[in-house]
Parts: sequence; structure tokens; C-alpha cells
Amino acid sequence: MSAFLIRRLLRFVVVCLGVSVVTFSILHASGDPVSLIMPEAPEADRAKLRLALGLADPLPVQFVRFVSNAARGDFGNSFFHREPAFRLVVERMPTTLGLTCLAVAMALAVAVPVGIYSAVRRNTVGDHAATVVVFLGQSMPVFWIGIMLMLLFSVQWRLLPVSGWSTWSSMVLPAVTLGAFTTPLFMRIVRSSMLEVVNLDYVRTARAKGVSEWLVICRHALLNAALPIVTVIGLQFGLLLGGAVLTETVFAVPGVGRLIVGAIRQLDFPIVQAGVFLLAIIIVSVNFLVDVLYVYLNPTIRLR
Amino acid sequence: MKRWLLGLTALMIGALVAPTGAAAQGKDTLTIALPNHAPTLDPHMHFERVGVLVNINMFDSLLHRSAKLEFEPSLATSWKALNDTTWEFKLRKGVKFHDGSMMTAEDVKYSFDRVLEPGKEKKKSPQYGNVRAIKEVKIVDADTVQLITDKPFPLLLERLVYFGIVPKKHIEKVGEEAFGSTATSGTGPWKLVEWKRDQHIRLEAFDQHWRGKPAFKYVVFRSIPEVATQVAELKTGGVDIIRNVSPDLLGDIKAHPLTRISTTPILRVHYISLDMRTAPFDKKPARQAANYAIDKQSMITKMMAGLGRQVPTVVQPPAFGFDPSVQPYPYDPKKAKELLAQAGYPNGVDITLHSSSTEWRPQFEALGEMLTEVGLRTTTKMWDPGPAWNKFFQAEGKGTHGQYGNWGNYSVFDADAVLHPFYHTEPGGWIGKHYARVEGLDKLIDEGRSTIDQARRKQIYARIQAMIKDEAPSVFLWTQNDTLGISKKVAYEARPDEWLWLFAAKPAN
Repeated sequence: MSAFLIRRLLRFVVVCLGVSVVTFSILHASGDPVSLIMPEAPEADRAKLRLALGLADPLPVQFVRFVSNAARGDFGNSFFHREPAFRLVVERMPTTLGLTCLAVAMALAVAVPVGIYSAVRRNTVGDHAATVVVFLGQSMPVFWIGIMLMLLFSVQWRLLPVSGWSTWSSMVLPAVTLGAFTTPLFMRIVRSSMLEVVNLDYVRTARAKGVSEWLVICRHALLNAALPIVTVIGLQFGLLLGGAVLTETVFAVPGVGRLIVGAIRQLDFPIVQAGVFLLAIIIVSVNFLVDVLYVYLNPTIRLR
Repeated sequence: MKRWLLGLTALMIGALVAPTGAAAQGKDTLTIALPNHAPTLDPHMHFERVGVLVNINMFDSLLHRSAKLEFEPSLATSWKALNDTTWEFKLRKGVKFHDGSMMTAEDVKYSFDRVLEPGKEKKKSPQYGNVRAIKEVKIVDADTVQLITDKPFPLLLERLVYFGIVPKKHIEKVGEEAFGSTATSGTGPWKLVEWKRDQHIRLEAFDQHWRGKPAFKYVVFRSIPEVATQVAELKTGGVDIIRNVSPDLLGDIKAHPLTRISTTPILRVHYISLDMRTAPFDKKPARQAANYAIDKQSMITKMMAGLGRQVPTVVQPPAFGFDPSVQPYPYDPKKAKELLAQAGYPNGVDITLHSSSTEWRPQFEALGEMLTEVGLRTTTKMWDPGPAWNKFFQAEGKGTHGQYGNWGNYSVFDADAVLHPFYHTEPGGWIGKHYARVEGLDKLIDEGRSTIDQARRKQIYARIQAMIKDEAPSVFLWTQNDTLGISKKVAYEARPDEWLWLFAAKPAN
């Protein structure tokens, strides 16, 4: 158990280091940052700024400084906001995480029942229809489906607010939009892992004992099929955070994604770095957590 | 069963997304959509259009500009130039700041000194360049201040239209950061209630404002980055005014029963800068040929929904110094071909034009086609406005044969604000140093900016316009409009300076 966790923890650290290399190089991949900040300034002023920002040092020195600062949550001041970039990102993180969690909840709320239905009534018309409808969701890009839902539910039917993030009702459309993107995958996983267990001996035994079909499916089959579902939620979490970037822009949600998009437009590197770094760390942490949860849900893993 | 796990998760989600209070949307509220907010509410510490639009409704300047572009008294009731470099302003009496203190000559001096930071080498205000000509601010008596410039500075009054007067004692008490975010205080019609980053800035009418009460008690500036979302909000009444409506959205907003369009010509001029240092545009007939080749009116009618106006040169009609007697080049492809032959290219010539105005790509390509038709066989190269473009344009300073773009004068209604950056060849200049080589033009531009005698300046600019029309250092195109989408519940019209002066807005009957 502990050896397993230590291995995972080591991997966690390695990935974090990789993330910091990538984040660090964002600034340098796009050319000379100083001429981006002040394109029309004379060279003397640029040299001053370069010195002030520590950009005159050799790259390895800059990298070590970047990592040690990043570890303390210091990414420097945002060029645009003139405030610590990390603080700006952290302030917006709850909104983004909230949106992502809501989206996962929405996706599961659809995917689990439909997936179970498809598994139990395999290869019926209902199974195929469910598959087609749900897959439509994944075929449409997030921003497009967002605008379509907005036109339908807000402009045509006046049921929900167009944009913003102030009331529960304003959160429905962004969460559905983002959730639609991941529902099909969840559904397929629920379906296939249910199919695996639904004909196993203990399920048959449960049925033979006269346990109701409902209980058989929920307690005996679903719980044992849960493992792959948990993995996929973990993996999808990262993708969803990425999707949140577009969803937040479309629905004017004040989250990290929108902050990063704005920062990219304004070439505001500290925010891009802090945002990418923090999101990456969250994704890695979620995956780590999934690993730990695995051990908890499936004791056989501990033996390996 | 791991019910507690589920419960905990639900609880966490609940805590993360807890509602933060709905924005009230009543008849006494005017809501504006902006793509984003400026980094600060401090009127001196940013240079963002979206911030200026908010600030002007909270802070008064010494002068105000009317919708007809005339200077009007604001915090100064009268002003005059005592000599070439000294301007005297009489201050309005009995004006109160939002924090309750009285506006005094001290506050005026403090406001300028805060941006000028005399004696400091590194200035922290990005607006320093706008007012750097002011050498000293002198308090004559309680109601009189003098601004002394280092040399004759004809643009002074222009620069004072957006220069908020801020309360000295208040800022010293609350500190710069609070002043720019939570504890703003100006003399304008509305005061700050709250600023939620990336969500909204909410203002409430200041009941002791010297102009009186505005028609709307509350003003809300919502931050909505996506244009499609802004339009949807406008149609459903979530916002009352959206800005920068593009031609393709006009019909949609016009057709909707609850919304309308308000459009007006603005200061933004479109041009192709020709590189006069290299062939073929080192020859005057070739440059004139390029001007004759463009069917400007068709472009405006067909590609800009009619929302534009031909211009004879780059000087915009609303700017000081515009000479209406200079006529635009007519569309005459035959003449263009003749001139090109005269320049030594009877069989045409290959050229490359560059641009980073991505939102004007169709127009850029149409321009290329028209030039190609008369023998200036054009390759159009569209750049992403970013590092590579900056490097190409700024450092190498060569658009090969030319560059298509548009210029907004930094909202200064004066011919100098386009002529100097475009055609003055001094190092440190903008386009001029790379492209323009017109004999005698530098001297005339310098003359125009070194006197405050407006009649004399008008003559100089008339001469310059006649000269550049003939020399054709650019292809002269059109000025564009600014277009607002407005709720039919609101009476307000777009202004030529693109300001949102909301004191003029009223509920429509």
C-alpha cells in the first residue's frame, strides 16, 4: 500500500517538474518578452526593464528562480492588472472548479441512468437511440453548443439568464454545455463496465436469491462497475477544465479560463503561467487522488 | 456504503458555486456591456478604452466635450491662453467629491502632479505621454490655476478633455490601491457601489453632483467577452447598450422588436502606407496609380453596410485642420494603368502588402484585388497581431511595399495626431520613419505643432493636405463608423469620440 503510494507520489513530483518546464518556456517560446511588453520603447528602456524583470540572466538561472518562486506561489505581477498573478488566478479558481464539478454532476446524472439502461437493454432500439443522442453532444464544439443553448433557452424561451454567474439559474446553461461534452464518454464507460459485471456469478446469485432487479443493478452491479467510472472522471476532469475556458468566455463566467484567455490576448505572461501551472497541478492532484481512491475501492490493487 | 463521501462531495460543490446575489435590473438601471474591465478604476493609472468609458461617468475633467465635439465648461468654467505657453483656468465653485470634500485648486494641481511626477525619472502613469508638455501647474488663487507648457502646445485643451480631477486628501488617506478599486471618489454624476472583477461595476447617482441628477439612478458595466453573448443579452434586456457592432450583426439587431442601432462616423481612418524608399512606390505616378485603382464607394456600400465615408487624405473630417476643399481620388482604373506605365511599369509589377488588422481581412483582400486589376499585382499577407508582427513592423520597419491598417488618433481631434505619426520621419516616429519620404513635409508638420495660433495652424494643415494628396505617400481610403446596439427603452445616441457619456441617456417614452 505505502510503496504504491510512494511510487505515485514520486510520479506526481516528476510531472510537476515537467509542468514547470513547460510553463517557464511559455514566456520564452514567443520571442523576446520585453519587446512584447513595450514594443515601441527605445532600446535603453528595454534594457532597463529586462534587468528589472531578471530577464538578462542566463536561462538556467531564470528557470531555478522561476521554480523556487512558483513553489511559493509567486509568479510576479500581472502586466495588465499590476497585481500578483497568482492571487488573481486563485481568486477565480473556486468559480472554475465549481463549474467543472457541476458539469461532472450534470454529465453523471445523464450518463449513469442512460448507461445502465443501455447495458441492461443491450442492442434494443432504446440503447441505440440513447447512444446516438448522447453522442450528438460530443460532436458539437463547446462554444457552438453553448451559443445554441443560449439562443434556445434564453433568447427564444426566456427560461434562463443569458450569461453571468450570479444566481443558480445562471449556472445551468454553462454546466450543461460543459457537461454535454463529457457525457458520451461517461455513458460508454458505464455501459461497458456494467456489461462486464451484469452476467457475473454473484449478480446471478443475487437474482436467484430473489433480490429485486433494482437492487441487483444498483448495489451489486453498479458498485462493482464503479472503478473504471472513477478513473474516467479523473481523466476527464483535466479535459473539462480545458473546456471550461471556452464555456467561461461564452457565458461571461468570471473564472480562471476566461482570465487566461484575456491574458493571452494581452500577452500577460505571469497570469498565463500562474493559470496554466495551477490548473496543471490541480489535474495532476486529481489523478493522484483517483489513484488513492482506487486502492480504497479495489483492495486487490494493494497486493500488486 | 460510502454515503458520507457523496454527501461531502455535494457539500463541496454547493460551497463552490453558492450564488453571490442577483443583479437587480430595474427601470432606474442602465446596463452597458463591455468586453472586459480595465485593471483599475483610477482614471490616471491605465490607458484602456473600456476604462475611460467607465471613468468619464465618475470623474469630471477641467473641460468636457459635447456630442458635437465642442469644448464645454466642466470643472473649469472658463479658460484662456495668456501667452504661447501659459493657460489660465477658472475653477467652478462649490463642487463636491463623492467623499464629501470640496474640490479645490490643490486637487487640480495634485491630479496633474500625480501623473507628471516632477523630478522622477520613471513615471508610473501610462498617460504621462499625453500631458508631458505640461511643465508646471501653478495655483494662482483658490479658484484659478495656470498650466505652463514647456513649448507652445496646441493640443493642450484636447488632452484635458479626459483628465480626471481626483481628491488629494482622500487619496492620501485611503491609499492608491483602495482608490483604484474600492474607495474611488470623483466629482462625476455617478459614484462607485461595487466592483466585481470580470462581472460588473455598479455605480449609483451622486446626489450632490453639480450638474444635477442623471436620468438613471444606477449604471452597471457588465463584463461580457463574447459578442454573440452581448447580442443575446441585448435582445433579452440583460443589457441596454452594446458597443462595436460589426456590419454582419446590424440586420439582426435592427430587425429585433426590442433593439435598435445608433451609428456615427468616428475618428478612425483606414489607409495603405506605401514604402516610398523602394520600387515601385518610390515613384509618384505609381503611388497615384494605387490611389486611382481603389473603388472606395463600392467597398463602403458592399463590404461595410454603408457605414463609412471616403476621405481625401488621412486627415479625418471631424479633426481640427481638415480641409474640405481637397477632394478624394476618384475611382479611375484606366488612369491608374496610364500612370503605372508612366512610372515605368507598362506590364505591371508584383508587390506585397501586409496587415495585422485581422477583423478587416475581407476588405484587405478586396483592396489587393483592385490593385491587381490595374497591374499592381498584389500578394496580401495577413499577420496575427502579435510578437512576429511587432518584430516585422517595428524592428525591421519594412512593410516591403506597404501596410494596410487603421488609425484612431488616440482620440485626439487634431490633424497633428495623424500627420506626425504617419509622415514625420524622425527616429522614434511611428509609420513615417519607415515609409514616408516627402520633401519638406517634416518641416511643415513641425511648424503646425509649434504654435497655438489656430488660424495659422489651419493654413499649415491645408497646405499639408494639398501636398500629401498630390504626393500620395499612402493610399487614402475611408473613415469608419462606431455602431451601438441599443435597447428601445433607452434614448441615447453614439458619439463621434466613441464615448459613453451616460448623463445624456434617458429612458425612452
